[in-house]
Amino acid sequence: MTYEPRIIGFLCTWCSYTGADLAGTARLQSAWNLRSIRVPCSGRVSPELIMKAFDQGADGVLVLGCHIGECHYDNGNHRTAKRLPVLHSLMEFAGLEPERLRLGWVSASEGERFARIVNEFTDVVRELGPCSWQQNGHRPQAVRAILESEV
Amino acid sequence: MSYTTEIQATARDLLSSDQVSCVIGYEVGPRGRTRPAFIYTADDADRLVWNQNCTHNLTTYLHQKLRPNGYTSAPAETERVAIVVKACDSRAINVLVAESQINREQVHVIGVACDGVFEGAGLGRSDGATLQHRCTECGERTPVTYDTLIGEPQAVDTLDSEHDLAHLEAMTPAERAEFWLSQFDRCIRCYACRQACPMCSCPTCLYERDDSQWIGMGNGLNEKRTFHLGRAYHLAGRCIGCDECERVCPVDIPIGLLNRKLAGEVEAAFGYRAGLEPIPSPLTTILSGKEG
Repeated sequence: MTYEPRIIGFLCTWCSYTGADLAGTARLQSAWNLRSIRVPCSGRVSPELIMKAFDQGADGVLVLGCHIGECHYDNGNHRTAKRLPVLHSLMEFAGLEPERLRLGWVSASEGERFARIVNEFTDVVRELGPCSWQQNGHRPQAVRAILESEV
Repeated sequence: MSYTTEIQATARDLLSSDQVSCVIGYEVGPRGRTRPAFIYTADDADRLVWNQNCTHNLTTYLHQKLRPNGYTSAPAETERVAIVVKACDSRAINVLVAESQINREQVHVIGVACDGVFEGAGLGRSDGATLQHRCTECGERTPVTYDTLIGEPQAVDTLDSEHDLAHLEAMTPAERAEFWLSQFDRCIRCYACRQACPMCSCPTCLYERDDSQWIGMGNGLNEKRTFHLGRAYHLAGRCIGCDECERVCPVDIPIGLLNRKLAGEVEAAFGYRAGLEPIPSPLTTILSGKEG
């Protein structure tokens, strides 16, 4: 079976989640790889949530919010706009491929844009292959190295 | 007059005139190590010292002194303390003021124009010659804010602060992941880094909550990595680079690298360096003007 990436999408309920609905009702093809999580605002997506998604085996994380100036809460997406680039460079520094995390703006009327972003992102992540971020418990290699050095 | 006698004289003045209730400074302990000291009476002021082993960032004690009831109530307005700070520590004062953690009026800052502190200081391993890494890169030896200045303001040559980051940044993502995993693997989650940090002031740490469904406080590699990356992220735009976290780490995780990386990112994106002025980090504010 060919590799299919698991992608977590954090969708703002006021814009991109509705945009996803619109893409559906308009019968647009968008990649099924996206597991959407509905959040009240893209500003709700804390860095810990994104890291948790990668920890649990996501191959890519897509954060979609309202365009700047259209936030339901006036400035929630301002915080996302400032937060994500910093988190992006931090996770890149810690060894994540930068392409696996993306921030986008999709309004409720942009079903077509939603489908395009999801498809593009899925293609990019599929190209990268499985993500090596996930770690289960202690690292066998490290443990083995310690055991061997003690013998 | 040496720095030590100047600090002692200032402390004696402040305490005998009842301007402050406590002077937070440094003393030399019975085993010869320089350590933090809390001086409550003018007679005790003679214990205070200044030397190049004064590595601790004392601003981390301000919370306890000025907020004895924790964060459930407003700061105790009557309390006033004096604190000995180096140039780096003085930036922490600015950040704490900007974040409304302390009132500037409640702190009498005794700034010291410092010549850098030695590697291994505070651990009794100081060789008395090698400066700490952060001191070799430090561009401001004069505190940015002070009420009393000890010593003369001085200028220093700085080195390129990016050089140790460059070697990591040149790696492939997989190599970097391997590097950091091998570092985080050693973590024992003792939270020494958090305790030593003046910016880590949450009453309940997000990473030490046993009721959290989505942040583990376990000892798995995943959770340890999330703790360190998350803590670094929380310090983005706030870290003043005192590197105390790295110094106190019992397993020598290079936490300072993460902090310097993010400080660099914030400076590149917003032209902001933490603590130079008492204004909040642009990372915590909304977009303004042309940024939108």
